[in-house]
Amino acid sequence: MAGSSTSYYFVIIGTKDNPLYEAEFGSFKQGGDGIPKFREEQRHMNQFIAHSSLDCIEDQQWASKEMYLKTVDKFNNTWVSCFLTGGNIKFLLVHDTRSDEPIRQFFADVYDLYCKTLMNPFYEVNMAIRSQTFDQKIKAAAKKYL
Amino acid sequence: MALPLEMPPRARSAMSTSKASPMYNLRSSIASTGSTTSLTSLFAGTGASLPRDIVDDIKSVVHHAFVPHIAVHVSDDVDEVVREKGLPDFYQLIRPYGEKVQGRITARDSQGSSVPFEDFAVRFVRLSDVARKPDRKSGVSGTSFRNGEYGGANAGIPEAINSEELPLADELLDLHLSHAEELIDTNLATETESHTGQAFYLLYLRKILSGFPVTSHETWAHPVACLIAISSRNTTPIDTLRQLYKSGSEVNIPGYVNKEYLRYYVLVHDEDKDDIVKSTALFEQMKRHFGLHCHLIRLRSTMCIVSDEDSVPVAKSQWLPASEELAELQRHQEEDIESDTSSRFIHGSDEAAIKTMVREMVAQSVIPFMERNIASWNDQILSRRKGIGGRVLSFSRRFLGSTGTRSASTSATASNFDSVTNSYDPMTPEAQMRKLADWSFMLRDWKLAYDVYNTIRTDFNNDKAWLHVAGAQEMTIISLLLTGQPITPKIRADTIDVYLDAACYSYVTRFRAIYAALRCLLVTVELLRLAGGSSAELAAKWAIKALDLNIRPTVGRALISQRVGDCYAVRQGAGSGGWGGRRRKAAMWHVLAAETWIRLGKFAQARHCIDVAMPKYSNTEFVLIRRFVDQMKLDSGYVSLLDLKIDTGVGGVGGEVVEVENGDNSNDHDGEDEEGEGEDGGSDGEVEKPKFDGKRRSILIPQTPNGDAPGVMTVEESPGTDGPL
Repeated sequence: MAGSSTSYYFVIIGTKDNPLYEAEFGSFKQGGDGIPKFREEQRHMNQFIAHSSLDCIEDQQWASKEMYLKTVDKFNNTWVSCFLTGGNIKFLLVHDTRSDEPIRQFFADVYDLYCKTLMNPFYEVNMAIRSQTFDQKIKAAAKKYL
Repeated sequence: MALPLEMPPRARSAMSTSKASPMYNLRSSIASTGSTTSLTSLFAGTGASLPRDIVDDIKSVVHHAFVPHIAVHVSDDVDEVVREKGLPDFYQLIRPYGEKVQGRITARDSQGSSVPFEDFAVRFVRLSDVARKPDRKSGVSGTSFRNGEYGGANAGIPEAINSEELPLADELLDLHLSHAEELIDTNLATETESHTGQAFYLLYLRKILSGFPVTSHETWAHPVACLIAISSRNTTPIDTLRQLYKSGSEVNIPGYVNKEYLRYYVLVHDEDKDDIVKSTALFEQMKRHFGLHCHLIRLRSTMCIVSDEDSVPVAKSQWLPASEELAELQRHQEEDIESDTSSRFIHGSDEAAIKTMVREMVAQSVIPFMERNIASWNDQILSRRKGIGGRVLSFSRRFLGSTGTRSASTSATASNFDSVTNSYDPMTPEAQMRKLADWSFMLRDWKLAYDVYNTIRTDFNNDKAWLHVAGAQEMTIISLLLTGQPITPKIRADTIDVYLDAACYSYVTRFRAIYAALRCLLVTVELLRLAGGSSAELAAKWAIKALDLNIRPTVGRALISQRVGDCYAVRQGAGSGGWGGRRRKAAMWHVLAAETWIRLGKFAQARHCIDVAMPKYSNTEFVLIRRFVDQMKLDSGYVSLLDLKIDTGVGGVGGEVVEVENGDNSNDHDGEDEEGEGEDGGSDGEVEKPKFDGKRRSILIPQTPNGDAPGVMTVEESPGTDGPL
């Protein structure tokens, strides 16, 4: 789908199915350059896939006591991994290779960052996250684990 | 509550979907107010079930697909009589009347209790068709095997399992849909459910199920009976009948088709030209020679025109194979001015006579014949297998699944399976068991059918007869779903999923039998969808699998992806939040279907899909989704009624909202901005296309049932505001 190296679409979804933060990045493993290689028609599909996987998450969130729900959905050969915060904010990662452990570590870092964002007095739940620092740190986390 | 059931069938069928649904809603609301104590029953009414008439539609398609085939073999003088009436031949005359046998037909099941069917059907086929098709095909495949085109494992597989009906069904639906589009464009028809909804999918399903090929691994298309007819004009009637009997047996039928089917003798009396006394005498003579399976039918040989007193139009066959219907449509187009072929008429007395004949044949000969055979096979074959093993003392079908098969496996390695022709001889126990299963399925004794399919599956497996295994697996699932027993998660995971997967693998990978695989999947999907709840999700999963069979963007593909959405839509969640529902998935698949429809140029279908998906995406904050859906609306000429109302007043506000959104996103990631501009340029180009523009003005605005808040809908109006961005 995205050539030789894998690409990721990451989105934080609020409680009203609204995206708070979106990012696309490529793999840094195996000599990847971290640049997403989604084809144009794949880019909106990523959003569709992420959005539709919320159905499955609603099913599975009650079955597990972990925050990391692992792979929750599959569309053709694209997987969706999910991390659910206590406030019902979902971190979704759309990816085309399966690797549970690095994604878990990535989500842990993102959760950390998200919690720090929440501590900002000017930030309210379900607000879009526009901070440059947040963006950079997410990209750094992606570079580290994915 | 049971009101729709008690109505006479005619009234029920005349009732449209829109009329029936309020009644259904009423029922559900009663159910929900009545039981506030338990949560599950509270939502049961609003839950996964479908309106009854839709259930009936789908069930009846499945019921009418797997029906006994009756071969028709007539002398030339019979066809001559019919030709004088202005119809091509006897077969064409009686075929439509097999699709609904008049009155109630009763059949005994394996328990001995009789079950009435209101809508029993048989399918008439030409005897020569049973013979010819595989013959021609095996000739073709024979040469290709010699060329080494296929591997050794596939040797001897008749190409007939790959029906050529599949692309034709696509083509036919394409025609039908184009026709519907034309009607909508010229405002002759409104965009109602009947033009865009599941009607076309059901048509597609019916076309796929209507032309079963004659193959060795299943006996659906093998004749159960053969109708042999002569007319009163024949000078040597008894001899001709014998001749027909003989030539009928000598027709080059493939070796795996059992030739011991029932023969039914019919004397066609020409009411206008011949003497009934003589015909009655001849009929008595026929009865003496051929026994009880005889019928005297009195037809008039004069042409009937509309103005005649008791003229009735010739019934139209609902189960025409796609190839024939295409040919017919083509003929219509060529000679549409005279149009004498489109509406043929026969005398009312003829119609009554044919109906009586079909009914008598089915009720008094065919069904008793099938019952008798089922009973004897049930006793003999199954118990003989038990005898070989010599293990079990008394016969009981209950034990067949476990002990019976084990003992048979030793005998089966001596193998009745002919791997050269990939078939069993019709007299072998395996072939007869399959026939037993198929016939009991035709008589809707699902339980017996399920048991037998279950048994022969292991037998076939021991013989490595993969095509037969796949066929048995397919039918195991279908009969299991039809028994109506609750589908537990265990059954879903252990039986349905496993068998479907294996059957598809065999069909597609081993035999490249795309048709068989598609049929298997679509029927199962429909039945699973009817089961509702999490079975509907499984249905969607397998419908997606069916999509993989056909990569090209054809009408069939679009219909199936729309169906995936429908399957997900069946699964409704509980409570106000709709927990556990699949609304987002349904919306996504409808959007995907709409995309395919637009690519195919079927804009009315696309508009329908968008309409269904819209409530989920109308106020989404996903920028790319919104842009994509907006583009699609533009392409298909979709106009929401609510949009129009607000257009003038609050339009400016909507524009601002969009602008802010886009600003947000360009802050988030840098690539967004350029991408957006590129998209806008593209959309401008689309608008310039005169085709879409013209469509937008001429279409009839659908009465959208989705009651979104008007304020929300302003955002949707962005096609207009997209430009200046």
